[in-house]
Amino acid sequence: MGNANTATVSASNQVKKNSQFKAIVKRYVKNKLAVFGLFLFIVLVVLALGAELFVDYDADAITQNMQIRLTPPNSEHIFGTDHYGRDVFARVLFGGRISLLVGTVTILASLTCGSIIGATAGYYGGKVDNILMRIMDVFLAIPSILLAISIVAALGNGMINLMIALSVSATPRFARIVRSSILTVKGQEFIEAAKAYGCHNVKIISYHILPNSIGPIIVQATLSMASTILMISSLSFVGLGLPSSIPEWGSMLSEAKEFMRYDPYLIVFPGIAIVLAVMAFNLIGDGLRDALDPKLRN
Amino acid sequence: MSHLLEIKDLHVTYRGDEAKVYAVNGLDLTLDSGQTLGLVGETGAGKTTTALSIMRLLPERIGIIEKGQITLDGYDITQASDADMRVLRGSLVSMIFQDPMTSLNPIRRVGEQVAEVLELHQKNLSKEDIDKKVDEIFQLVGLPVERKIEYPHQFSGGMRQRIVIAIALACQPKLLLADEPTTALDVTIQAQVLDLMQELKEKLDTATILITHDLGVVAETCDQVAIMYAGEIIEIGTAEDIFEGKDHHPYTTGLFGSIPDLSKKERRLHPIEGMMPDPTNLPSGCKFHTRCPHATAICQQQEPPFIKNGTQGICCHLFADAAGNRGSQEDK
Repeated sequence: MGNANTATVSASNQVKKNSQFKAIVKRYVKNKLAVFGLFLFIVLVVLALGAELFVDYDADAITQNMQIRLTPPNSEHIFGTDHYGRDVFARVLFGGRISLLVGTVTILASLTCGSIIGATAGYYGGKVDNILMRIMDVFLAIPSILLAISIVAALGNGMINLMIALSVSATPRFARIVRSSILTVKGQEFIEAAKAYGCHNVKIISYHILPNSIGPIIVQATLSMASTILMISSLSFVGLGLPSSIPEWGSMLSEAKEFMRYDPYLIVFPGIAIVLAVMAFNLIGDGLRDALDPKLRN
Repeated sequence: MSHLLEIKDLHVTYRGDEAKVYAVNGLDLTLDSGQTLGLVGETGAGKTTTALSIMRLLPERIGIIEKGQITLDGYDITQASDADMRVLRGSLVSMIFQDPMTSLNPIRRVGEQVAEVLELHQKNLSKEDIDKKVDEIFQLVGLPVERKIEYPHQFSGGMRQRIVIAIALACQPKLLLADEPTTALDVTIQAQVLDLMQELKEKLDTATILITHDLGVVAETCDQVAIMYAGEIIEIGTAEDIFEGKDHHPYTTGLFGSIPDLSKKERRLHPIEGMMPDPTNLPSGCKFHTRCPHATAICQQQEPPFIKNGTQGICCHLFADAAGNRGSQEDK
C-alpha cells in the first residue's frame, strides 16, 4: 500500500516536471536537422541584429561610392561591391533585418488570420463556410502579386503597409489549408466525445482540432516564407515596396539581375542568404511538426 | 414519483437530400437512478439516435427532434439552451462511444484529458485538487496512476476504454449512456470492461443505458431491457421478463431464435426473414408486419396497442385480446 502511495506521489511530481512544452522541446532536440535549422536561424538573426558590429549602415550600405563600383570580392569588401559601390556584405547583413522581419511577421499574421477564417469555416460549415470560403476564393482568383500591388497602391508605401499587403495576399492559402485539415479532424470520434463531456466550440477548435491538424499548416507556413521574401523584392521592383536604397535581399537580387553575366557574386550572396533563411525555416518547420506529434517521438 | 430520465413520445427525423428518415417514432421510456437499461435492436433501429437525442448531440441541421419531451433529473432537455446543455453534458449525463481507439484525442496525455472534464465542470477546484482527483479516478477504473502522462496510442484497447470510462465518470454523472462500449473489444476484455462498469455503477449509483446488439451482455448487466425496432420500443421489461418470460413480441422471439444454440447440432443459423423496413418509407400499421410470421390483416392497418402486463410491456396485436381482459391497455 505504501508502495502504491509513493508511486502516486512520484507520478504526479513527474507530471509537473514533464509538462507538455518540455516534452515537445525534448522531442525537438532529438532531431539533429531541426536543431541545425534553429541554429542557422539564430545565426542569421544575430548577424542581422548585430550588423553594426561589423559594418556601418550609412557609410557601407547606403552611401554610393562610384569609384569602387562592381569590385569583385576582396579582403576589404569580402562580398564585393555593387553597381553603386556599396558594400554587398553590409547590405546583406542589414537586408536580413527587413527580409526576416517582414517575412516572419507576414507569415505569422497570415497564419493567424487564415487559421481563424479556415477554422471557423471548416468547423461550423454550412452558410458560414460558404460565405467565408467564397470570399477567400475571390482573393485566390486574383494573382497574389497583383493583389499585393493594389493593396500597397491603396494604402501607400511603407513597411507596415507592405506587411499588410503581403499578409492579406497570403491569407487565403492558409484559410484553404486550415479548413481542409479541420474537415478531416472534425469528423473523428474524439471531437464528438469532447462535445459529449461538455466542451465548448472555441475550446474544441483550439484545443482539440487545431493541434491535430498542425502538420500541413506548418509546411505551408515554411514554404510561404521563401515566396514572401521574393514578393517583397517584386514589390520593390515595381516601386511599391521599399525604396531601392534600403537594403533588402529580394531587391538586391532583382537589381543584380542586370550584372549577372559579368559580376555573378552580386546575385550569389543575397541568393545564398535567402536560401539559408528558407532552409532554416523549412528545417524548423519539419522539426516542429514532428515534435508536436507524440506518435513520432522515437 | 419522478424518474431520473423520462422520455415521452419522442420523434426524431434525419433530413436527407431526398427523403426524410424517420429514425425514432414515438418512443416512451423511463429510467430510475441506479438502474441499468439495455437498449437492444438491429442496426438502424434508432438506438444511437435515442442516446444522441438525450445528449442533444444529433448532427446539426440534419437530425431534428420533431416531437416529444425528454426530462432528465428535472431538466427539460428538449427546451434547454445550448449553453445549458454544455453544462449538463459531462456533469449530469455522459456518453461512452463505441470505439475507444478513436474517441480519445491522440495528441493529449490521457491524464490531461481526464483533467479537462474536471476543469470544465468543477471550476472551483485548484490544480492540485484536480491532479488528486485524476489520480483517484485512475485508481477507480483500475489504471496505473503513473501511466497518466502517456498518450492514447501507448495503451491497449481495453485500457483505452477504461480511460474513456474514466472521462465519462469523472464528474459522477447521474446518467451514463454507453453506446456499444464493448463492440470494438475482444471477449475477455469485454468481460473486464462490463465488470468495471457494473462495479462503478454500484459505487457511484449511476443509471446506465447500455446500447448493444449483444443479448449476452444484456443478460449479464441489465435490470431492464427494451427491444427496439424501426424507431419504436416494441417490448420492454425486466431482464427476467425478457429472458425468462413466456409472452414475447414476435420480433423478440425471432431475435432469440437467431442465437445459435451450442448444445444442439445445427448446420444453419435462423435469422429473421427479410430486412429492416426502409426508414424513409415505413410500412403502415405495425412496422414489423412485413417480416412477422403471425401477421394478420389488422397488423397492416392499425398500429398495435402497447399492452402492459406487470413489469413487461409488449406492442403487438397478438396480445391485444388477452390484454383486454387484463385491463391495462393504452392506445397510442
